[in-house]
Amino acid sequence: MPPDRGRSGLGVRRIVRRLASPVYLAALVAIVGFAYLGQGDPMSYFALSLVIASIYITLALAWDLSSGMTGYLNFGLPFFFGLGAFTTGYFSWQDHVRSQPLLAIASLAVGLLAGFLFAFPTLRLRGPYFSLLSILLPLIATDVVLSYWTQLHMPTQGYYSIPLLGPTSAAELIVLSAVNALLLTGFFLLRDSHFGLVLRGIRDDEEALSAQGVRTFPYKLVVFTLASGAAGYAGAMYAMVISFAGPDTFQFTFLIFPILIVILGGTGEIAGSVLAGYVVMLLYSYFLQAFTELTFIVFTGAAILLVLFLPGGILRPLRSFIQFMRTPEPP
Amino acid sequence: MSLLELADVSRSFGGNRAVDRVSFDMSDRVLAVVGPNGAGKTTLLNLIAGQLRPSRGSIRFRGREISRLAPWRIVGLGMVKTYQIVRPFRSLTVEENLSLFARLRGKAEVGEILQETGLREVRGQLAGALPFGLLKRLELAKGLASRPELLLLDEPIGGLSREEAQGLVGTLEALKSHGVGMVVVEHRLSEILPIVDRVVALDQGRLIFHGTREGFFEDPSVRAAYLGGRDAGG
Ligand SMILES: Nc1ncnc2c1ncn2[C@@H]1O[C@H](COP(=O)(O)OP(=O)(O)O)[C@@H](O)[C@H]1O
Ligand SMILES: [Mg+2]
Repeated sequence: MPPDRGRSGLGVRRIVRRLASPVYLAALVAIVGFAYLGQGDPMSYFALSLVIASIYITLALAWDLSSGMTGYLNFGLPFFFGLGAFTTGYFSWQDHVRSQPLLAIASLAVGLLAGFLFAFPTLRLRGPYFSLLSILLPLIATDVVLSYWTQLHMPTQGYYSIPLLGPTSAAELIVLSAVNALLLTGFFLLRDSHFGLVLRGIRDDEEALSAQGVRTFPYKLVVFTLASGAAGYAGAMYAMVISFAGPDTFQFTFLIFPILIVILGGTGEIAGSVLAGYVVMLLYSYFLQAFTELTFIVFTGAAILLVLFLPGGILRPLRSFIQFMRTPEPP
Repeated sequence: MSLLELADVSRSFGGNRAVDRVSFDMSDRVLAVVGPNGAGKTTLLNLIAGQLRPSRGSIRFRGREISRLAPWRIVGLGMVKTYQIVRPFRSLTVEENLSLFARLRGKAEVGEILQETGLREVRGQLAGALPFGLLKRLELAKGLASRPELLLLDEPIGGLSREEAQGLVGTLEALKSHGVGMVVVEHRLSEILPIVDRVVALDQGRLIFHGTREGFFEDPSVRAAYLGGRDAGG
């Protein structure tokens, strides 16, 4: 390992060196590859499955950057996702805004803002208390929004006729894949920087980290705000894919699947989540067709087995093997 | 001006006065804090490092009142504490453990610290995989990474073999000669004695002696409370 690995600086050569990682490159190849494969039959079930997979991968990346890297479990992720979907629904209602990029940016902004407002007071609490609030506060907020719903002159069942993201699933897949590639690259660089090192330090022993000099709060605030923004963006995409945003956008599947993906990909690995995202979501789509009713039960069962037998994900055993091969004999 | 100045510092846990009206000035490089188990040594270091708030009293570092500051601010001023029970960042490499703290005050040369503390050979290994002796060294190195002027060391050689301890004391001696100040809590006083300038002795939270190391062994109250019957050398 080169001795200056932990240093900052945005030199192009340094960035290239950092990105020359097998896992990152594999994830990038997967994104490009699946985007290409999805073009075969633009309206196929396969292309649609890839579109849905891409949205879950965005959520998984958001979860991994924040909760995965720091160990602060944020169960409010589906709230920010739903908020993003509603923001897109709200602005597109009665044809106010028809521009998809504008809608996505609005949802991103609302996600960032809501994430910041949520994270600022709650991140002062340590792990379990933070997690509890991450469940409670979004529940309360959702309740308040829904009870004032009709007074706000909103459509009762939810927003419909939201502009579609693209004319075909294949076209939508290109947009989603491009953004995922950007997020993957950005988050991966962040993980490998001094900033990411502090996040991993937080997960290992935050008390020792701050006692020995690192003020951890700003780091946590940044990643949880970013993650909420990404979730808001993902919500906008979802709303524009199904052309609808209703109360069921706040579903817990938008929490459970991203977590499952991150565990399988290796918590805190970032790039692993992309690979695992395709595996999990394509399998899920296949199961949906094959088992219909039983899908969720089969899947939850698989998740439990996974956590029991591969708590470090699929990459970790590989990684420790590589580490083992590289480490010289101890003196 | 003294490096460190404690005036009337107390801290209780429930009814138990772990540190009881302790006052002293530190102007030399290396101060040893000794006393039997439960005397309040760790509590005293935690108070100085800002990890506990004193119930009363004032603590000054280079003339500045610090008893209400957060620990990370105190590190920023140039004082850091290491843990008696080591707390490495287990999923990070040895080098990354140091990099975490290397830009808090100016820029520390991680390579030099690895060299000084004898961790160069293992710099790429995960901290979680290190043997105990190296973890004790890593604990010291983590402290050094924020380039402190004053290091608070809680039993830096506790649990080490005699040879390992000798090596570590050699490292501390080199640090002292580079101008780093140290408050060393240590059970095994005889082994760190060569680098000690002054000694503070605690017993049941109270300061019973403050003076030179020569004076320490001659002091009647020390003999009675601390050396009396038991072995001070650990
Ligand atoms: N966090 C705490 N809560 C309650 N009591 C404590 C705590 N920390 C230390 N004590 C008590 O304070 C006294 C001094 O402990 P400590 O400072 O650890 O002693 P030493 O380091 O000299 O062995 C002991 O009686 C211990 O039980
Ligand atoms: Mg102690």
